[in-house]
Amino acid sequence: MQHIIQKYKLDSIFLPFLAIFVTCLFWYVIAGKSVITEKVDDFGDKIKVTKRAGLSADLPTPVETWTASKPYIVEPFAKRGELDQGILRFTWMSLVLVAQGYAIALIIGTPIGFFLGLSKPFTKAFDPIIQVLRPVSPLAWLPLGMILFSGVKIMDGEGRTTFGASDAAALFTIAICAMWPTVMNTAVGVRAVPQDYLNVAKVLKLSKWKTLWKVLVPATLPYMFTGFRLSLGIAWLVIVAVEMLTGMPGVGGFLWQQYNANSYAHIILCILTIGVVGYVLDRLMSVVESRFKTA
Amino acid sequence: MPLIEIKGASKGFGPPDNRTEVLKNINLSVEEGEFVVIVGYSGSGKTTLINLISGLVKPDTGTASISGEVITGPGPDRGLVFQNYSLLPWLTVEENIALAVDEVFKDWTKEQRKEHVAKYIAMVKLSHAAHKLPKELSGGMRQRVSVARTLAMQPKVLLMDEPLSALDALTRAQLQDEIADIWLNNKTTVIWITNDPDEAILVADKVIPLLPTAPATLGETMLVDIERPRDRKAINHDERFKKLRTQLITTLLDAKGRTKVKSSVQISLPDILPEDLNRPNSYQFLNRTGPKRRSDKNREEVEVAA
Repeated sequence: MQHIIQKYKLDSIFLPFLAIFVTCLFWYVIAGKSVITEKVDDFGDKIKVTKRAGLSADLPTPVETWTASKPYIVEPFAKRGELDQGILRFTWMSLVLVAQGYAIALIIGTPIGFFLGLSKPFTKAFDPIIQVLRPVSPLAWLPLGMILFSGVKIMDGEGRTTFGASDAAALFTIAICAMWPTVMNTAVGVRAVPQDYLNVAKVLKLSKWKTLWKVLVPATLPYMFTGFRLSLGIAWLVIVAVEMLTGMPGVGGFLWQQYNANSYAHIILCILTIGVVGYVLDRLMSVVESRFKTA
Repeated sequence: MPLIEIKGASKGFGPPDNRTEVLKNINLSVEEGEFVVIVGYSGSGKTTLINLISGLVKPDTGTASISGEVITGPGPDRGLVFQNYSLLPWLTVEENIALAVDEVFKDWTKEQRKEHVAKYIAMVKLSHAAHKLPKELSGGMRQRVSVARTLAMQPKVLLMDEPLSALDALTRAQLQDEIADIWLNNKTTVIWITNDPDEAILVADKVIPLLPTAPATLGETMLVDIERPRDRKAINHDERFKKLRTQLITTLLDAKGRTKVKSSVQISLPDILPEDLNRPNSYQFLNRTGPKRRSDKNREEVEVAA
C-alpha cells in the first residue's frame, strides 16, 4: 500500500482530497439542518413545521449549497436578469473591472517606483506619504473616490450613463490600493541594480534614455514582476469590496445582493469563485514572472 | 607626449574624520602602443588606480590626462575590461557587443556595425556562440566577450582590471596568450592590472609594482626586454625572466614587510565549563541553574585512589 502511494505520488492528490473532505465534514457538522416536526395548529389540524437547527442554523450544508448553486455553475454564461446571471458571467465582469484598475495601477506605479529607486531626495520626500497611504483599506478610499469623481458622467446616445462617478471611484480605489506593491518592488529593484551594470553604461557613455531602457529596466524586470503579481492579488481582493459598496454587477455585487436576499448558499458559491479565480490569476502571474528571471 | 599621464594623483575614500587614503603621489606615463602591467596586492588600490584613468573615479589631488586632455569622466576612448566581465545577462553575446558598437559608431550604417560586431566576435573565436546568453558561457568565454566588447569600441587605450583573476589557471594561461596575440596584431596601448607577477612579466613591456604602503605608491618601472611572441614553456628557463621575477617579488614583499604595524588585541576566552551530561535532564523552567563558570568555581574535590 505504502509503495503504491509513493510510486504514483498519490499522496499529493490523495492528501488534498482528504483535507477537502475533512473540511466539508466540519462544514456539514456546524451547518444548520432542516428539522421537520408535526404540530397541531389552532384549528386542530396536523401541520408540518420546518425549522432549521444546528450550531449555525442559517448556514446551508454542502449539499444544499450545491443544489442552490447548480444553475449558476451548469450554465455559467446564462443571463436571466441584470442580477441573476451565470457565475462566470459575473466573474468576467469583475475581471474586466480589475483589469482596468490594475492597468492604471501599473501605469502609474511603475514610474513612481523608478523615481523612488533612482532619486534619494525623491525617496526621502515621498516615503512618509507612501508609508501612510499604503495600509489604507479600500473601504476608506472608495468614498473619497466618489467625491473626487462626483462630476464624471459619460452618457451614450440614449441618455444612459455608461461611465459614472461610481465607475470612476471603483477604478480609482482598485488602482490606488493595488499600486503599492508595484511601487515598492520597482523601487527596491532599481536600487538593487548591480553597480557593475551601471559602470558598463557609464563606460559605454550610454545616454540617460538608453541606460534606462537597455540597463535599468531589464535589470529591474524580475523585481517589477514580483510587484505586479502582488498588485494583481490586491486588485482582486479590492474588487469584492468595491462591488459591494457600489452595487456594480460582478461576483462581489452578486454576493452582497444574495446576502440581502437571504440566499446564503450563493454567498459560499461566490467565496469559492473568488478564491479559485484569485488562485488562477496568481499562478498565471508567477508563470509570467519566472519567464523574466534573468541570471 | 605620452598618451596617458597621471601627475601627483592621490585618492582617498570616506568622510573627513574617518578617511582611508588609498593612493598617494601617483605618477605614471604610458606611451602610445605600450603594454604596461601594474602588479600589486589585492586591496592595495589597483582598481582605484585604473578607475582614475577610466574616469569612474576622480583624483583628490593631481590630474589624469589622455593625449594631454584632463580626464573628467568615462569615455569610449578608454575601453575598460571589468574584473567580473560585467556582461548584461539579458543580452546575447552579439547584442552585448552591439550595444557598445552602436553607441560609439553612431554614424555608421546598420550593415557596417553588424559586420564590425561579427569581426570582433571572430577575433576572440566565439562566432559559434554569438547568439548565446552570458549564462550559457564558461568564465573564460565570458571574459573573451568582455574583451571583444571593449576592443570593438576601438579605444585609444585598453584598460584591463584583473581581467583573468576569476578564471582557473589553465584558462588564464590560454587567455593571456590570446590577449598578447591580439595586442601584437593591433598594437593598442594596454594598461593591465594584475596580482600575478608571472602573468605581468609574461605579457608586459613594462612592469610597474604598486607598493602596498598605506596609502599605496608606484614603485620603479621594470623593462621587460624579452622578445615576442613569448613561449610560456621556454620562458620559465629564461635567465632574464627569472631575474625580473625575483626582482619584482622582492620589491613587493619588501614593501609589504615595511608596512607591518604592531597592534594588540585583548582576547577574552569563554568562561563556561562543560555541562555534566550524567545529570538527568530536568524539565524545570524556573530556577534553572544555568551554565557553570570557571570564575564561580572556587573549590573542587577530587577523589584520588590511594
